Amino acid sequence: MQDFEDFVALRSQALLRTAYLLCGGDKGAAEDILQDVLMNMYGKWRRISSSPEAYARAALANSAANRWRRRSRKPEAPLELGAVPAARGHEQQVVDADIVVRALAQLPKKMRAVLVLRFFDDLSEAETARALGCGVGTVKSQTSRGLARMRELMGEQVLTWS
Amino acid sequence: MELKQAMEAATAELDVRPGFVGDVMAGGRRRHTRKLVAITAAVALLAGVTTGVALTRSPEPPEDPRLTATTTGPHAGDSELIATALHLWDEAQKQPWKPYEPVTEVSKRANVFWTGQTPSGPIALVAQEVRVRDSARPATLVGLVADGAVAGREVVQAEARDNETGLYRFGPLGDHYVVLTLGRTVSWSLKPARGPDNRLARVWATAPHDEDGVVFTVAPLADRPVFVRGDSVPQPDDFTRQPILSRYDYRPDRAFVPHPGLGWSGQNCATGTPEERRTPPGTKADDPKRELQKRALLDYLVGWDVTGDWSVCAWLPDGRYALMFEAYGELYGALYQPDGTFSAPVLGGRAVKGEPAVLALPDGQGTIVADFGATIGPQERDHAWLAPAGTKEVTVRQQGVPKVVQLP
Repeated sequence: MQDFEDFVALRSQALLRTAYLLCGGDKGAAEDILQDVLMNMYGKWRRISSSPEAYARAALANSAANRWRRRSRKPEAPLELGAVPAARGHEQQVVDADIVVRALAQLPKKMRAVLVLRFFDDLSEAETARALGCGVGTVKSQTSRGLARMRELMGEQVLTWS
Repeated sequence: MELKQAMEAATAELDVRPGFVGDVMAGGRRRHTRKLVAITAAVALLAGVTTGVALTRSPEPPEDPRLTATTTGPHAGDSELIATALHLWDEAQKQPWKPYEPVTEVSKRANVFWTGQTPSGPIALVAQEVRVRDSARPATLVGLVADGAVAGREVVQAEARDNETGLYRFGPLGDHYVVLTLGRTVSWSLKPARGPDNRLARVWATAPHDEDGVVFTVAPLADRPVFVRGDSVPQPDDFTRQPILSRYDYRPDRAFVPHPGLGWSGQNCATGTPEERRTPPGTKADDPKRELQKRALLDYLVGWDVTGDWSVCAWLPDGRYALMFEAYGELYGALYQPDGTFSAPVLGGRAVKGEPAVLALPDGQGTIVADFGATIGPQERDHAWLAPAGTKEVTVRQQGVPKVVQLP
């Protein structure tokens, strides 16, 4: 299992970052679901070692969705976006980073997952569809609506999409 | 600000906690073992039902003999030393258990089962019965008391005693080792040597141990000591055995330890991905490090800091796929066929922090130039670029400052 251990050592940080965004900025939850996903991968390693990264990302997206499904049963205080300072500088970068996470947290879970996989993990539409178990058309429509919603939530904080 | 940029900025400071890799490995093993036990039990139950055979409970594993063993070793009769060791052992339990120590309850008394003498003072090995989460069976907490503290301890579960690490690193320079043979042969080796054919070799010897199966040795870290436990001594060109790794080899046990290598993180590609190959290959072969180890081109990887946290991929003009990575301050590469089978290893030069990493590929496939955070080449590609064969120099812009790099 040296190769699995290498995978965990090498890729955990990147996967944690994906998990963090999928969980809408909840680091504790991100670590929990990442550890859970990786521990499950241990027993399946021979079957999934061909593309472990893709498997891990799909499993993270599913775990994050299930987590949010459970959480959504409890009433939760809405996240408020803070006022945007006018001046740009180091503080502004911090605000940017904070705002994007808080905006993501306000998106429906599938929309959030689509944006994270497409724009943070650079997955193609087809790969994103495979990871989330939906059609390419759904990915396209969720991307379009998600970007529009992000623009609404973040205002001029997000100027372009790559 | 682009969305990707914003997301990257939001996650830039994130890293897994120390000990995370070890926790995943231990938890994965435990979960897998439980699953196998459940499947076996279900099959046995089914077999019993269908054949009418009454099932009897499987025998409990025998108690760990170290829990009650008489103290051995050179200080076995030193009751003051044993009392001190037990006091230090108990004191350490007043601190919260680490996440990788699933202990819920400890027995009343620990047992010093071995004592020894080292240049930095006397040492003692201690065992104590404990209860752990997710298991009905008692486990053994085993550890080493050295240098006036518990230098290391691990939980050995009754159903997974084969997984015991049994290696403790301590001493003022971290170069003292206590290794338990656990009934097998412990071999050790220092200073790998690379031959003219670039293949590595190690001289292995059975680690000298006392009659109680305890190895003590001092091995400078610069000599890259490696210990393996098995039924035979490894061959000089065998780099595929599982080395014994201490907890500190997985991750430092404290936060914010900078990586001593190039310090990059994640994977970047030096080329675009052909539309017909959206998924990287590498499916039929072992991971690149393992492939190089099988060819005696890469040393045993002992320590979290001996490999980089980064890699660079590239699709090559002839259809193959390349991966470049860092280990022991050197650059390495592995080429794969489009169908995922391993094609060829590549050895690069030194990885120098602050300098672009350059890896010349064989068969006229060009040269990978990487510098995370920089723009590279005439198209100003981010992070990495595959320079076509024949390229003599490339411009790398780190924070807008151009630097011309000569290619081999």
